[in-house]
Amino acid sequence: MLDYIDKIKEISERLLKDCSVEMVIGFRKGTLPMMNEPCFARTPEDVGQFVWDSNCGINLANYLTDRKERIGIVAKGCDTRNIATHIIENKISREQLVVIGVPCKGMIDKHKIATLFADEIQTVTENGEKILVTAGGKETPLNKSDVLQKNCAVCTHRNPVFYDELAAEKVEEQQDVDRYADVQEIEAMDTQEKWDYFESLLSPCIRCYACKNACPLCYCPTCFVDEAKPQWVGKGQDPTDVRTFHFLRAFHCAGRCTDCGACERACPVGINMRVFTKKLEKDCFEQFGWEAGMSLDERPPLDTYRPNDPNDFIK
Amino acid sequence: MNLMEHMGIESDRIHFSWISSAESTKFVKVVKEVTEKVKALGPQQHFKKNDAKVA
Amino acid sequence: MKLVKIDKKQWAEGLESLKKSFRLLGPVKEDSYYSFKALKEGEQPDFSFLNTRLSPKSLLFPQSEAIVEYSLDERDEDHHVMKAIETDDSPRAVLGIRPCDAKAVTLVNLNFDTSEYKDPYWVKALAATTFIGLACDTPKSTCFCTSVGCGPYHEEGLDLLLADEGETYLVKILTEKGGNFLSTAGLEAVDEDTTLFDAKKKAAEAKIISTIATDNLKGQDILDLHEAPFWEDISFACLNCGTCTYTCPTCWCFDLQDEIHGKSGKRFKNWDSCMFPLFTLHTTGHNPRGTKLQRVRQRFMHKLKYFVDKYDQGIMCVGCGRCVNQCPVNIDIRKVCALMNDHKVDEQACAVQE
Ligand code: SF4
Ligand code: SF4
Ligand code: SF4
Ligand code: SF4
Repeated sequence: MLDYIDKIKEISERLLKDCSVEMVIGFRKGTLPMMNEPCFARTPEDVGQFVWDSNCGINLANYLTDRKERIGIVAKGCDTRNIATHIIENKISREQLVVIGVPCKGMIDKHKIATLFADEIQTVTENGEKILVTAGGKETPLNKSDVLQKNCAVCTHRNPVFYDELAAEKVEEQQDVDRYADVQEIEAMDTQEKWDYFESLLSPCIRCYACKNACPLCYCPTCFVDEAKPQWVGKGQDPTDVRTFHFLRAFHCAGRCTDCGACERACPVGINMRVFTKKLEKDCFEQFGWEAGMSLDERPPLDTYRPNDPNDFIK
Repeated sequence: MNLMEHMGIESDRIHFSWISSAESTKFVKVVKEVTEKVKALGPQQHFKKNDAKVA
Repeated sequence: MKLVKIDKKQWAEGLESLKKSFRLLGPVKEDSYYSFKALKEGEQPDFSFLNTRLSPKSLLFPQSEAIVEYSLDERDEDHHVMKAIETDDSPRAVLGIRPCDAKAVTLVNLNFDTSEYKDPYWVKALAATTFIGLACDTPKSTCFCTSVGCGPYHEEGLDLLLADEGETYLVKILTEKGGNFLSTAGLEAVDEDTTLFDAKKKAAEAKIISTIATDNLKGQDILDLHEAPFWEDISFACLNCGTCTYTCPTCWCFDLQDEIHGKSGKRFKNWDSCMFPLFTLHTTGHNPRGTKLQRVRQRFMHKLKYFVDKYDQGIMCVGCGRCVNQCPVNIDIRKVCALMNDHKVDEQACAVQE
């Protein structure tokens, strides 16, 4: 995937030079291993800072909300699905965008890699399917497939679903992945076990809201957690309030979540809050055959009615 | 509803029904069922905040 | 100031016996990270950590703390009267606090204990606490304490400073409180000369590889920095989450919230963050810092300029590197500080015609 960057730069420079866009949104190299920073280029010279590797897990669709410029955006498979959702929800218009599609081979999980080493990680480099980690002065090779972000490991839409330019040949989509094994594991628990599972999952949460703020879907001008009249949820650290936040946020993402994993990646304490959104993603898939952001023309299940919608929960 | 259940709220606490204003017998039947099921479960312990815990 | 040597086994026994008279708080390992917790019977602090994920500021300034309570029931004699909630002000000790986090306590104290105002909750908790520091012999690559008036063996804010030396701790007694702590523990302390300690200190300082320059910040013009062209670029990626401010040992902002159940209510003091849109939202609906750029600028201007100008005690950062490590989009205060420190106004661009 490292070789994509020349093409990304070439396209970006061209778009800026011929004034088809006013800015291009991409990533630049971070100051730490396994971290890249979303950034923008307004001139062809700015494009020099762009990078592409397996640390571009933040969803760039998040940076489009309500922007007025004409924008070029570097977008992985999941990013394009969230861009589609943004377009459907009128947060940006298709005409404003030049989508530079990036066929993705998966992003690596920085939390997971950090926990594999007792020492502080000094550098992480990649070469195709190999990830080379230096920690405590020692080099350790890892297989990329072992350290993918959880959502990337089961992703079946690695290629951009729509684009104007493509940074590389399309990649083969993953077949035979068990997309919902993690959700099924929870579904198999009894009520008390489920309750306890989420209780311990959320106990380290500091309510920094990095998860919701990293999510392209969470663009409400005032989030329900910030509402004061009425106040839907307490603002302290009471576990009921913490859970209410996560649970209601998940509902707001129903039929919209693409399982891009940006929320989980952003969490400073490494909580997999995707187990909430993924349950709804699974239900949408199983009940309505719906996967969010696959098309610019189809309305999402929660704002359409079909006479044959499943309704066996109504008694 | 699925998410509520997924998270550890007993499914018998949540009921949906479609009852026309003419269906009085169905209304009685549903209300009876709901109360029976909820009574069988006893008071709700989860998602209940009396005094905020602090940390 | 005295240096002594204590055998590690004795130290552990001493701590156990201290639990009768002190509440002991120390780092413990939870999953893949460390945090400061009250130590239970038989539990020893785990000193093998580099830096705790959250700073120990929460021990004095919890993320959420009930401060007053009241009744709204008119039949109660003292209804609608705010009553302070009883706090536990018994002596406690924080074991193994890193020197940067201890210095941070002294910085937060500048805000919570002034000649005009005192936050009683903070002041009481601080007075009840003995701080036992743990020197950093293997600092992280993101530690830049030595550039910001701190260091891996820095003593400010500490009562004792421990340096790990094989089977023993070299212990520097910095205050009377620290001395009392040792004698209450009944620890046998053997006098030690400072050669080894000083050598360790030097070696540790040499291991700090990250540095920042802050020398020009004071001289910079506030408005020039405020109007500097780099803010859009710096703030672009920011998610406006609470990660940097919540994990920072020097961030002190809080919000008051009332919670009422039935007829009784409590008022809470909850951490707040300048990165949140709600932080400066007026009741009129106007928000003086309504955009992301304004909020990001506020965070860095407060830490690296307003604080410098107001207190003349350096920057409001002790170089612990938490925000650098945990920011989901890698916004790095070291980079921002360099931009602010090196900022020069482009004279030509500013040749505004009067
Ligand atoms: S909820 Fe998480 S996985 Fe779903 S779209 Fe938002 S950031 Fe992506
Ligand atoms: S990012 Fe993590 S810690 Fe922050 S609110 Fe979300 S789950 Fe909680
Ligand atoms: S600003 Fe960052 S590096 Fe400085 S004390 Fe706060 S968390 Fe640590
Ligand atoms: S700088 Fe980073 S940690 Fe701080 S609010 Fe912005 S995204 Fe969150």
